[in-house]
Amino acid sequence: MALSKKEISILIEIVFSIVFAFIFFPYFYENLDNNLVFMDDLIGKIIEIVIFSVIYFSVTYSLLEFFKKTETKDERDDMINSKSYKLGYLLYEFSLFIFIGTLSSNFKNQELLNLTDVGIIFLIFILLTFISFVKSSYQLYLHRTS
Amino acid sequence: MKLKNTIKKYRQKKGLTQEELAFKAGVSRQTIISIERYRYKPSLELGMKISMSLDINISILFYLE
Repeated sequence: MALSKKEISILIEIVFSIVFAFIFFPYFYENLDNNLVFMDDLIGKIIEIVIFSVIYFSVTYSLLEFFKKTETKDERDDMINSKSYKLGYLLYEFSLFIFIGTLSSNFKNQELLNLTDVGIIFLIFILLTFISFVKSSYQLYLHRTS
Repeated sequence: MKLKNTIKKYRQKKGLTQEELAFKAGVSRQTIISIERYRYKPSLELGMKISMSLDINISILFYLE
């Protein structure tokens, strides 16, 4: 199965979502019951996330530039991007709606969901990673089938 | 009715590869592949660029079936 440069760059994003979830989610999950002020080395973890992301994308995109020649961006790419970003936007909107609703009910009834601020950050990370994964997968699917 | 085309036939008649036609029309090879397989319907502008690249009238290149 030969993949074009655009398809490989989408695969890089998908792999990043998976690797990010496997490496960094356990840290937030372990500290789910804590508040941010009591979390060990939170700033260190955030710096680690930023450095990891910068290195990951620099290395993968440099390799891609080196091994694959530049492709023309055309109207089909715009069509695919608009479809996949639209899906991502709808998912963001829907999940934010659910998330705000959950938080509101949390304020009203403290025993319904006992979310700490780490819990809220963890939920936001899960949503962002999941939506990014779905959006990129749909983009790859459209590249292969349309 | 489905929009179909004869791009592959006239491209091969002209001795062009998909890559060469893509370059002439200013699109990627994947786009030409998708159009030839009827998976992607090009805009009027792109249709005209392809017809100009192949020196074929657009009404011969694209038809409804």
